[in-house]
Amino acid sequence: MTRVLLVRLAWMVPILFGVSLVAFTLMRALPGDFAQAAAGTADVSPEALDAIRRELGLDRPIWEQYLHWLGQIAVGDFGTSFVTDKPVLGELLPRLAVTFELTLLAGTMAMLLGASSGLASARFRGRTDWVVRGFNGLLLAIPNFVVATLIVLLAGLYFPEVGIFNYVPFLEDPIGNLGSMLLPALSLALAVSVTISENTRAAVLEVASQDFVMVARAKGLHSGAVLRDYLVRNALTPVITVTGLQLAQLLGGSILIETIFTIPGMGQYLFDSITSRDYPVIQAIVLVAAVIVLLVNVLVDVAYARADARVSYG
Amino acid sequence: MLDKTTPNIEFPTQLALAQGAESVHRRTLLRLALVGGAFSLAPMALAQSGTPRRGGTLTIGADADPIGLDPVTVTAFSSYDFTALLYTGLLRWNAEMKIEPDLATGFLTPDDTTYIFRLRQGVKFHNGQPFNAEDVKHTFDRILDPANPAPNANLFSGIKAVTVVDPHTVKFELKAPSATFLSYLATNPMGSIVPRGATDLKTKPVGTGPFVFESYEPNQQFTLKRNPDYYEDKQPYLDTVVFKFFKDQASLASALRSKAIDMTWFKDPKVSAQIVKTTRDLVSAPGKTSRTFPVWMNVKAKPFNDARVRRALSLASDRKACLQTVLGGSGKVGAMVPESQVGGYDGVGPMPYYKHDIAAAKKLLAEAGFPNGIDLGDYIVVAANALDVQCAQILQQQWAAAGIKVNLKPMETAPLLSMWLKGEFGLLSVALAWSADPDVIVSRLSSAHPHGKAMGMDDAALDKLIVDARSILDNGKRAAAYQQIQKHIAEQAYVLQIYQYPLRWEAWRGNVKGYVPLAANIRSFVRTTWLDK
Repeated sequence: MTRVLLVRLAWMVPILFGVSLVAFTLMRALPGDFAQAAAGTADVSPEALDAIRRELGLDRPIWEQYLHWLGQIAVGDFGTSFVTDKPVLGELLPRLAVTFELTLLAGTMAMLLGASSGLASARFRGRTDWVVRGFNGLLLAIPNFVVATLIVLLAGLYFPEVGIFNYVPFLEDPIGNLGSMLLPALSLALAVSVTISENTRAAVLEVASQDFVMVARAKGLHSGAVLRDYLVRNALTPVITVTGLQLAQLLGGSILIETIFTIPGMGQYLFDSITSRDYPVIQAIVLVAAVIVLLVNVLVDVAYARADARVSYG
Repeated sequence: MLDKTTPNIEFPTQLALAQGAESVHRRTLLRLALVGGAFSLAPMALAQSGTPRRGGTLTIGADADPIGLDPVTVTAFSSYDFTALLYTGLLRWNAEMKIEPDLATGFLTPDDTTYIFRLRQGVKFHNGQPFNAEDVKHTFDRILDPANPAPNANLFSGIKAVTVVDPHTVKFELKAPSATFLSYLATNPMGSIVPRGATDLKTKPVGTGPFVFESYEPNQQFTLKRNPDYYEDKQPYLDTVVFKFFKDQASLASALRSKAIDMTWFKDPKVSAQIVKTTRDLVSAPGKTSRTFPVWMNVKAKPFNDARVRRALSLASDRKACLQTVLGGSGKVGAMVPESQVGGYDGVGPMPYYKHDIAAAKKLLAEAGFPNGIDLGDYIVVAANALDVQCAQILQQQWAAAGIKVNLKPMETAPLLSMWLKGEFGLLSVALAWSADPDVIVSRLSSAHPHGKAMGMDDAALDKLIVDARSILDNGKRAAAYQQIQKHIAEQAYVLQIYQYPLRWEAWRGNVKGYVPLAANIRSFVRTTWLDK
């Protein structure tokens, strides 16, 4: 197991190398650059724009810029933001923590909501099933940024005393921080919970139709025990896979949610740096996000082995 | 223009220079001021009810972060709100968009190319360093540095020399008479004065403005503190000004409703009107129009090189319908020069090819060889600006009625700008934010300008009109010159101006007093703002 883990971790290096190359070249392949984006429609002479590009090293050949950037990263330097003129890493880490908290909260909410509603749906069928699936269909149809915008608008209109935009750092005021994260995390969790719910329902129903469950019931096991030891445990594997896959969606969704709720996380940072063509920031975020997704995939594999005794690595 | 009856003379030694004062000879007026005549324009801000109260924090909702805070190197419009509070210049715009002295107390113009400014005494920069004529010279040396010219260097390229006469007198010599020089000096950040010896103003700004830089957390908030050494009596009234950043218009609206912010501006006048209507105790002021919505055409490319096709497009456009539908009527029919410039000329006179006339458009197209209509390909608009996209959709339908087909293509801003400036488009709409002088706007259509060149402009008569208008010092004559330019552009239909409106539709809470929205789209009047309990 340990060896397999190490091999998988080692594989991350070439993958990350590829990601860095793609992130670097794709951003530069997009038309429009920082100097242009910053100047907007202001009447800035082409010479002045070139001077800005020269100062940022954007006039050098792309391969040279890339090698320079790789060299920096090798020594843990992610470069300086074009916009703020500050080191990227120093601005990225606190944002990463915020996004981590948001995704963690949203992930937990999605798991709880999705697994319990899916389970209830499969277990009780009938009216419960209709209600749960009806809600799921509705949530699936409405993108989560619409839900978030609705929450923001309605709360502003009817409960102006609820400070939606009073984000406080966790270290300053943990309770207040959780309070300010609740609505954003919920709007992020809803869409993901649907997928988990539907998958849980399907997995439980499938397992429930299997012979060993019938045998368990036939030998007079308590229905709670059947549910816990036979149904849930066996239904867990597909649910874990789906939850792991949903993490990428959570990270992507956080871009919109953070922008709408003005939470100073990585998503908002990425959104801003893409519009302003702040290459060092975009590249750093893409790399960090890639590391996270890869690590989570490894964790999911570990979780499989835990949940399903049939799975073993090497 | 000059109001001598106002009891509220805040700057008794100051000269208020009204650009539109045609009746009084300019030079006489200036001399009067220098021998101690007390003139002052009554700033609208001070005319508002109540006695200003000191103290408090004003929280402003902003939709974009600044990119750099050094007024000499800054190019981003989003930085201007901040530089406007941190730095001041020799002159400034007042609420009526007239020029008045700021760091200068007045100036003499012995001839049309020489300006001698007397400077305020006892002014200090935020770092405690005293302000004097050397700083003025230093600022313009930096802007015009031949080795490393500032992005705005082209605005001041008419300056021959800046000389320090004595610590409180500075002389500007121009290469030729210039009507734009004072406008640029009055505009923040172009005319902002920076201190000698300061390094890294980009992140550590040091100016003479009413507020001092305190802290900045990107995407979160920007905090300014009251400048206790500010040179205008009792101002500023606020202790702290906080900008909070909201990238989403709906979030901005909610923040204003829930009192998370005291003041903001909206892109959509309909949204602003709605919020003010549905929320108690909000004030909204439209301000003068500063933004125009143009349709740029690539006049070097077929079929736009045929004036008949361009004119047909102009005739097929129902400008009033666009204005009504998109802005709910809050604006005016489009002009090259919006009304906030050159003495309030709004450009809404009878213009050639402005009348909506589909039959005439079809006839012109037929003459140009397209009797069965024409497909003009992509029409590119800024996807991020909902108003622009709406207007473009309406235009698309209007043009279709005249047999003109376009494919609407909303696009991200950065690539759109690059296509626009390189002339790689057929039809494209990108609106201009406020410019310091009408010359900046019309110069884009000059064949000598890089942008005009990229669009394929080649009109010697227009070039001459543009160059000549730059040196007309009389404001009335200048307005007439720009009307002529505007007519010429409409006659040739180089650009279709659809409508003009205030870029910023500002709104603030009822307890915020003394604030005036400025057509220059900067928040200069936070300096006179105070909070009523």
